[in-house]
Amino acid sequence: MKAVSQESAEVTGSTAAKGSKRVTQGGVLLGIGLAMLATMLIVTIFAPFIAPFDPSATSPDSLAAASARHWLGTDSIGRDVLSRLIVGGRTTLLITITAVFIALVGGLVLGLLSGYLGGFVDDAIMRVLDVVFAFPVLLLAIAVVAALGPTVPNLILTIAIVYTPAMARVVRAPVLSVKQWDHVEAARSIGMSEFRLVLRHILPIVVSPILVATSLTLSQTIFTVTALSFLGLGPPPPDPNWGGMLSEARQFMELAPLTVIGPAAAIVFATLTFIVLANGLREVLDVGSSR
Amino acid sequence: MTRFVLGRLGWMLAILLTVSFVAFMMMRALPGDFAIAAAGSQSVAPEVLAAIRQELGLDRPLMSQYLAWLGHALVGDLGTSFVTRQPVRGELLDRLTVTVQLTLIAAIISMVMGVATGLAAARMRGAIDWIVRLYNGVMLAVPNYVVATLIVLLFGLYFPQISIFGYTPFLEDPLANIGSLLLPALALALAVSVTISENTRAAVLEVASQDFVMVARAKGLPPGTILRDYLVRNALTPVITATGLKVAALLGGSILVETIFAIPGMGQYLFDSINSRDYPVIQAIVLTASAIVVVVNTMIDIAYARVDARVTL
Repeated sequence: MKAVSQESAEVTGSTAAKGSKRVTQGGVLLGIGLAMLATMLIVTIFAPFIAPFDPSATSPDSLAAASARHWLGTDSIGRDVLSRLIVGGRTTLLITITAVFIALVGGLVLGLLSGYLGGFVDDAIMRVLDVVFAFPVLLLAIAVVAALGPTVPNLILTIAIVYTPAMARVVRAPVLSVKQWDHVEAARSIGMSEFRLVLRHILPIVVSPILVATSLTLSQTIFTVTALSFLGLGPPPPDPNWGGMLSEARQFMELAPLTVIGPAAAIVFATLTFIVLANGLREVLDVGSSR
Repeated sequence: MTRFVLGRLGWMLAILLTVSFVAFMMMRALPGDFAIAAAGSQSVAPEVLAAIRQELGLDRPLMSQYLAWLGHALVGDLGTSFVTRQPVRGELLDRLTVTVQLTLIAAIISMVMGVATGLAAARMRGAIDWIVRLYNGVMLAVPNYVVATLIVLLFGLYFPQISIFGYTPFLEDPLANIGSLLLPALALALAVSVTISENTRAAVLEVASQDFVMVARAKGLPPGTILRDYLVRNALTPVITATGLKVAALLGGSILVETIFAIPGMGQYLFDSINSRDYPVIQAIVLTASAIVVVVNTMIDIAYARVDARVTL
């Protein structure tokens, strides 16, 4: 595969020029993605200082239109929509990022074990993960959360379990090929310990695909978390969250469209952030399209 | 080939068993006493609770409970609703029909939109390609329930005279039936069509760079013929598979869209039973929907292997 692309690059000189252009395009995407991520994280982390009102404080001024006082108006019991959006991002992003981080660690461990050791361990791990993978994500999450109760730890754990198999697959594939490369062979022949070998010579190779996959998984997790909240299986009130806000606001949305457009925009912004980031990373790190 | 098919079917059975086990355990993992949940209130006489335990077989070992439950599920007995006290099966079948209908309409819409935009982007390139890709990139980030909510909002604000909620049964009025499913199907289809569009574009571009297409062009075949007989035919196989997988996923995704448009399908049924803590119904829906997705995915795997001999058997 590599030889073929090199050959075609030599034959048509324009491919090289295209290659460098692609890198800058990826760089722009990555820059935009990082800027969006930074905005989101800063707003989320400093939410209590940024939010103009207490997100749970009600007022008689209900379903108000946008004004200088309430930039996005108020909801059906007079709470400030903007403040609820800013603070609501905390719960949504906390669940999303923690869950994906756990899935990442789990997938990394299982994928490395599976790919590096091969044989029976590989078969056993992959078979179990395949079963989890075969479940429709949202249905599995609904089943578990409905049974265990919609608390933040339960949500995090459920979503982590749901997304671990995909992560493990992303890690395993490159490990399978990398472990046969010459530099690994050389390291092994000079007597490097297995642990150090994996850490120094195999892990660095899987970092790029992992970064891309993590970013994509984050965008999918936003969908799952907000969908669960929308169904009433999100974190319990009074803490606001985007999915719950969208669902609650539907009742009166013709009277105060911003109560719906606000959370909808927040969900799309967060999802888009991680998609842009994933595409930027993929082009900059030159990871082959995984889909 | 036979070995491959048998292998896939065996694997499917293993997954279905696990699915059923998870669905079963979900009921037993409920916090508190299951008999109290079944009785529907805390203040029930101990004798009644004992009777419920006896009836549900809660006094037996877990494994034998599971096997008994699985046996019932296999012959179509999916339990009794806590709320209506009716068997779940009848209502579930009615709901499933509606959801399948919705899914099919959504599949058709997304196929047409996806293939059309994907083909246009791949053949015309330039500005159209750019617009299609930008649209796809952004739409990928818009979940179907956001699309559905915004459609409802738009109609509520600008066309309040048009009724967009509810559902007319097919036998009552076929046209009104399709009409009542059109908007929810569109909400479901937009996200799927983006994936189909990207797949079509990539597949057509890949086929177009192959030698046999260059030969066809060199010998002077009209562009229409090349498009129809060379590009579309070869590019569509992977597209159809991807569509199948996406449509299976639609079954799960329709939960929120059905709720938003008040379509009495399986998704709305699930939403209602989550709100009323009607656990047997939740369990039956999770079991049925997961089973459908697993079976459809296996069929697609097998069909793909039949169509494309390059799939390693």
